[in-house]
Amino acid sequence: MASTGSNSSVREPEVAAARTDIALVLTSYNDARTIGPAVRAMRDGLSRHVGSGSARFILVDAGSTDGTEDAARAAAAPSAPIDVARVGPPGLADIPYHGYPRRAAALRTALETAARLQAKACVFVDPGLLVPDAAWTERLLSPVLSGGFDYVSPYYVRRANEGALTRGIVYPMFRALYGVRLRQPAGHEFACSRQLVAYYLEQDFWEFDQADAGVDLWLATAAACGPFRACETALGVRPPPSRDAPTDLGTTLAQVVGALYADLEHRVDVWQRVRGSVAVPLVGAVPTAEVEPVSASLEPLIESFRLGYRELREIWTWVLPPRTIVELRKLADGGAEAFRFDDRLWATIVYDFALGYTMRVMPRDHLLRSLAPIYSGWAASFLLQVGGATTVAVEDRVEQICRAFEAEKRYLISRWRWPERLR
Amino acid sequence: MGTEVDRMLRQAVAQIADHLASFLPGLVVSLAIVLAALVAAVLVRIAIVRTLRSLDFDRWAEQLGFGGLMGWQTPPSPTVAMARAAYWLILVIGLLVSLTALNASIPSRLALSAFEYLPHLVAALLILVVGAVAARFLARSVLIGAVNMHIQSARLLSLAVKWLILVLAVAMALDHLAIGRTVLLLAFGILFGGVVLAAALAVGLGARDAVRRAIERQLREPAARPENPIDHV
Repeated sequence: MASTGSNSSVREPEVAAARTDIALVLTSYNDARTIGPAVRAMRDGLSRHVGSGSARFILVDAGSTDGTEDAARAAAAPSAPIDVARVGPPGLADIPYHGYPRRAAALRTALETAARLQAKACVFVDPGLLVPDAAWTERLLSPVLSGGFDYVSPYYVRRANEGALTRGIVYPMFRALYGVRLRQPAGHEFACSRQLVAYYLEQDFWEFDQADAGVDLWLATAAACGPFRACETALGVRPPPSRDAPTDLGTTLAQVVGALYADLEHRVDVWQRVRGSVAVPLVGAVPTAEVEPVSASLEPLIESFRLGYRELREIWTWVLPPRTIVELRKLADGGAEAFRFDDRLWATIVYDFALGYTMRVMPRDHLLRSLAPIYSGWAASFLLQVGGATTVAVEDRVEQICRAFEAEKRYLISRWRWPERLR
Repeated sequence: MGTEVDRMLRQAVAQIADHLASFLPGLVVSLAIVLAALVAAVLVRIAIVRTLRSLDFDRWAEQLGFGGLMGWQTPPSPTVAMARAAYWLILVIGLLVSLTALNASIPSRLALSAFEYLPHLVAALLILVVGAVAARFLARSVLIGAVNMHIQSARLLSLAVKWLILVLAVAMALDHLAIGRTVLLLAFGILFGGVVLAAALAVGLGARDAVRRAIERQLREPAARPENPIDHV
């Protein structure tokens, strides 16, 4: 076992003269409870499906103090070597919504290590967020090793009440902007080829302000916008998150949507040329068993929207046109039974906020956080529509939302080019 | 007698003429300074209006929060207000300088003391501007944060923060100008002391049980999390 560590702020593991075919990257931060099962699952998956002869673990730790590294080493031994690098330590303000500080530096360190190891394929897992299944290693690796794909994105079966932000904003907007249908573009579990690793390291987004929160999304965007083959791989039913989300909705929304808007601003020349979208191949079988829906009262979400309309309407008028405000008033005044957010209305609101973000009509953090009540209203409307629906029906509903985003992309382009004319 | 009267009249006229002769150049210079200041003020006003309009200053000022705070949403716009301020500043400076040219001791002293006071005035103005921007920014932060925390009286909180900072900024500016220092100190002591006392009485008498229950809940059930019907990410 070749195990190395470091004490500096960011130091890469020493991989002198070592080479490997597969790099299994784990990012950790006080994950002693979950790192062992994660490493064992990946190791077992590797030996069962791929063969572990030329594989190597790369653990990038963000300054854990609970023995995460030791647990990882113990779980990896004796079959697979493990290289350990550290980034951090993080400050209190550095912890983003997903709970992993300095994620951009960690992923960059891992990619540099993988490039130095000349790995043919690189798999990324965040055991603090999700403990992987043994089959994930093969499902993420085989499209790269034998399918010729460069980027493998996860596809989970999820309950109707899970991933609303992804279903309502991230996926539809990502798809409309870049024309690639990746349903979990900000997933922390993914795989990439050697060519894509080299391409990632050439990108300039590593030092951006929102990098720690948005780097996973930006990696997906870079793959989608570059000359690479992307696919999705079915990872089954998404397990519950193992790390408690430390932040509130406003912060989560500001970080996730802020990263998406920052990317929009960064890749104007790409998304303005894209029309429509194309499906990517889905590798593996999606489980047919239905996940049990979770029933909960949606009244708090609707009430949050109404409160937002009452108090933040004045702020919204900075970015939303009068007709949108009128539509929101109708929703706020209506009853909970008939609470339905029109898809096109929702798409234009998300685009209007994107434009407000770019034009800096007010401090960006204020703008993004003020979106939270509208998002709560949309989420309530979405759940009212798909509450007891099957997984397929939920996916169909998400498809309708995505089509609305694609249809309203003309509106975004128009406002982007002539913001004053449409005001 | 007639000769004496004539001599005295001639002497008086000569003295008046002497005085006029010594005063007139100063007056002419003074008028010239006022005229020059007027021309400079007009030119500066035009230049400021053109420059700020080309820089889209009105929009930036609105974003920074000057519009709502200073009543600039209706005319005059921030650009016009800035131009007017510069115009009057130059004109007042011109008038003060012109007073010194008259060679009169009292107006000169007035002008000098006004010049000495000017830096304090500018500093006080700066304090007010910074206070206004901070008040606007923090009030909006509190409003959005409170709404996202589902606090029904979010607007009230936001207004309280805004006026607290504005009043503080005004008090600091007045203190800097040395206006009513003792009164200000007393007023603030009474105001904040009163607010804190009122809050303490309100909690102590009206919400004692609620506070006790909240503290007990915090101590006994630290891990309890509110029901969340939705997983966002």
